[in-house]
Amino acid sequence: MSEFFHQYFDFHVMGAHFSEILDGFFKNLLVFVVAALLVLAWGLALALLRQLPGRKFLPVRGLTIAYIDVFRAIPVLIVILLISGGIPFLQFIPKDIRIPHWFGQPDPYWYGVLALTLVYGAYMAEVYRAGIEAIPGGQMEAARSLGMSHMQAMRHVIVPQAITKIPAPMLNELISLLKDTSLVGVIALGESVLVGREVLAESFNSSAIILAGAMFLVITLPLARLVDYLIKRNQAKIARGSHIEVA
Amino acid sequence: MAEPMLRLQGVHKRFGALEVLKGVDLDVQRGEVVCILGPSGSGKSTLLRCVNLLEPPEEGEIFLEGKDICKGPGSGTGEQSWNLDFVRQRVGMVFQQFNLFPHKSVMENVTMAPEKVLGRSKTEAREKATALLERVGLGDKLNQYPERLSGGQQQRVAIARALAMEPHVMLFDEVTSALDPELVKEVLDTMRELASEGMTMLVVTHEMGFAKEVGDQVVFMDGGVIVEQGRPADVLDNPREERTKKFLGLVLER
Repeated sequence: MSEFFHQYFDFHVMGAHFSEILDGFFKNLLVFVVAALLVLAWGLALALLRQLPGRKFLPVRGLTIAYIDVFRAIPVLIVILLISGGIPFLQFIPKDIRIPHWFGQPDPYWYGVLALTLVYGAYMAEVYRAGIEAIPGGQMEAARSLGMSHMQAMRHVIVPQAITKIPAPMLNELISLLKDTSLVGVIALGESVLVGREVLAESFNSSAIILAGAMFLVITLPLARLVDYLIKRNQAKIARGSHIEVA
Repeated sequence: MAEPMLRLQGVHKRFGALEVLKGVDLDVQRGEVVCILGPSGSGKSTLLRCVNLLEPPEEGEIFLEGKDICKGPGSGTGEQSWNLDFVRQRVGMVFQQFNLFPHKSVMENVTMAPEKVLGRSKTEAREKATALLERVGLGDKLNQYPERLSGGQQQRVAIARALAMEPHVMLFDEVTSALDPELVKEVLDTMRELASEGMTMLVVTHEMGFAKEVGDQVVFMDGGVIVEQGRPADVLDNPREERTKKFLGLVLER
């Protein structure tokens, strides 16, 4: 048993590498924050494209649905590898974009942010869609009958109501996103799990990886509790017969 | 006679294989109140929704102030892209379920469209909304949210919201059907007042008393066609058609 504890919970190893792991975890958070903002925007854009009315927009809806389906159906890791292993070699793209070093962040950082945005944007589009479809059709009709265009109705009437119904599923996606920032380690961004793996490789001890996992838990566990609270509060609202959220 | 405010000619509306309107002709004069009666599924709500192009008809013509609103690019395809501004700025609609915007205050419900669609300034829109809400008896509810209001109050806000766009025609789609009985009167009174001010109104209703008192014309629909129409006293008291008699018998039996 003590061998098990030594392998996974060696406090000397944890202490020796604490600041490296923490630095790595800040990189996870930095990927997360920027990707999360982009995901929230890109997901909404996709959801709106998917809701465009009429025959004219059939191709747009079709392409959007195809995009959402494909990016939800392939592993994030594949997208990360295809972007980081492909874009740098596409000579027709200007070098500053092909190999970005914006805001002092290295290119693997931006490849990771892009890959996560592409994939999680698709997931988030489905969350927005659930919220939009939960709004009674009469709201759109009332807005249209007052002369608003489809997009005005979406912006002023439908979306503001839709987002109040989806905080729980939205947070769930963001929790997944934070966890998947660890995948960017495979393209040599020095995030916490990659640092932990380096420690494992030189010391044959897993404690540094446990430490990285613990840092994720500090953020994700309270968020998971928050999701639970939001769902419970929503159920109470439904029981009282007022707003309905999409759980 | 002057050009009718609204003229429907051979209007057909289908939902897939289901034909809801099977050729409707109707003239509505300026300032006239037309009450549309009929059993559920007779197409009366669909008729209203055709008039403001929420459900564009597949066949037939609708003339609004002499202009054919069914003609133009995209007509008949189900695209809602033609003549929409012309129609929606002239035709206001009030719904059975009120459809107030629950995330906006009473005031914002009324000012939203004038600001966003007509480009009115906030001050101007608020002044107008205040006057309208006072007129429907809700001057003290400006900053309330819809869920705090009774059904009758919500429906009066919905009427004020439609009036804020200065429509030439108002459509009322069973606006008292979702209300508790004691709240019906306040909404009907608001509509009475509007009629007396000369608003052109198309009113789908089950309120026979209102139709008789306020209506200039009563239209009885069944099975997607107009079965009988005429002055309220004629249609309601001396119906000619069997279907009208049967329907009125069932309604008045209550």
